[in-house]
Amino acid sequence: MDYRTELVFNKKPSTIMHLDLNSCFATIEQQANPHLRGKPIAVAAYSTPSGCIVAPSIEAKACGIKVGMKVKEGKLLCPSLIVLAPDPWKYRNVHLGLRRILGGYTDKFYPKSIDEFVLNLEGYPAYQKGMFNIGLEIKERIKKEIGEWITVSVGISPNRFLAKTAAGLHKPDGLDEINRKNFKDIYSNLELTDLCGIKTRNAARLGGMGIYSVLDFYEAPYWELKAAFESILGYYWYLRLRGWEIDDVAFARRSYGNSFALPKPLTTIEELSPVLSKLVEKTGRRVRRAGYKIQGVHLAIVYRDGASWHKGVTTSKVLFDSRDIYKIAFRLLARSPYRRPVRELAISVFNLLPEASLQLELFDDIGRKEKIVKAVDKLNERWGDFVITPARMIGTKEAVIDRIAFGGVKELEEFTLNT
Amino acid sequence: MIEKLSLPVSVGITFDHTKRKVIPRWVLWKGRLYPVEKVGFHHTFRSGRTLFHVFSVASKTLFFRLVLNTDTLAWRLEEISDGLPD
Repeated sequence: MDYRTELVFNKKPSTIMHLDLNSCFATIEQQANPHLRGKPIAVAAYSTPSGCIVAPSIEAKACGIKVGMKVKEGKLLCPSLIVLAPDPWKYRNVHLGLRRILGGYTDKFYPKSIDEFVLNLEGYPAYQKGMFNIGLEIKERIKKEIGEWITVSVGISPNRFLAKTAAGLHKPDGLDEINRKNFKDIYSNLELTDLCGIKTRNAARLGGMGIYSVLDFYEAPYWELKAAFESILGYYWYLRLRGWEIDDVAFARRSYGNSFALPKPLTTIEELSPVLSKLVEKTGRRVRRAGYKIQGVHLAIVYRDGASWHKGVTTSKVLFDSRDIYKIAFRLLARSPYRRPVRELAISVFNLLPEASLQLELFDDIGRKEKIVKAVDKLNERWGDFVITPARMIGTKEAVIDRIAFGGVKELEEFTLNT
Repeated sequence: MIEKLSLPVSVGITFDHTKRKVIPRWVLWKGRLYPVEKVGFHHTFRSGRTLFHVFSVASKTLFFRLVLNTDTLAWRLEEISDGLPD
């Protein structure tokens, strides 16, 4: 990379658009049920008092309810709070609807999560309409084609970071642009911690260099940022704040995993192994469906007291059968040194290998095993998940339920590929 | 209050060929007819190979989650709510 350190704000026109569905899950629930509109509602992982709130509605946010709060805390702040369980397929359908709409404007649209999209309109005919007009048109089409209660905040800028920042300026239902003409005005009204990626620790680093505001941050010379972050991150921030692109990187998938927050504390291996088995079954199926085999298994345990333990192993054999993955995961579980009540169990597999021919074995008939696994997968695909399962999974009906992962779209890739 | 159920239910629908849309018109629940005032959302999902259509609809006072199994063409009522806190 050419490390230019005398850059001014990018003169390129704003061709990047960031869309953020406001209070995503809660808004979709209010769309589905008109009786919930205008009321404080929250979608929580579990509706029990210690369930975690994953999406408060705009009305609930006005009462002070935030993502990550417990249901009982939310109800203390707002006794009339209505708590709902997540309905992943509803949200995935909205996501697909958004994809359909946005795909009509540019091929370069990137889902960043279930409720965030980035569009690059550079060089596309739609750009001639003007970015603001496109933003307004998309908002209108979402209301007409998906639901009238659904609102999105739209940000426009020459780069992805500032487009996201612009989308956060006026929530809900905002439409803002950050460009070379207005960036200083906007920066002067923002706190450092309003910037995505700057929270208390980074703000403290910057404070150490005498940078206390976003305007200070922008005006700081490169060497100051380098000293503050003590890494290449300083240069990335130097570019971001000047409207140059540094965030258009797509990371390839390197692992598959599933986790489960246990509703009741389980301690012994006998209690935990059925849940582990279900996690492995789910992960194994996803890996095979995506056409991979694996050579590594990782287990992570979070205990009720907040402590955690994790261990991963690389295997010499190429694995594809959930039963083989389970054997390794179970060995890892048995090796965990603590016997305390567990809050969360997470399994992941890594060293992904695209479908390759398998090494034949002297004692095991690998070809036969692969055929059996494929047949079982086919049966489950035809008749529904977990129609055929290992006996050790008995009693895990409510465990490892369908969820939407936050912050990533890897799970959505699988989902959209399979619809 | 929200009540999760899974019970057979009678649903009246119309199909508008110009918009290619199915619209639930009424729900017959516990001997009472509830005219549908609004279809809040319609979405689909698959369980195995079976496609299910989910209609989230509201009468004047109640919300119903109606699920149509496209294999059997049978409707089930999966949720009912009055939009009030528990």
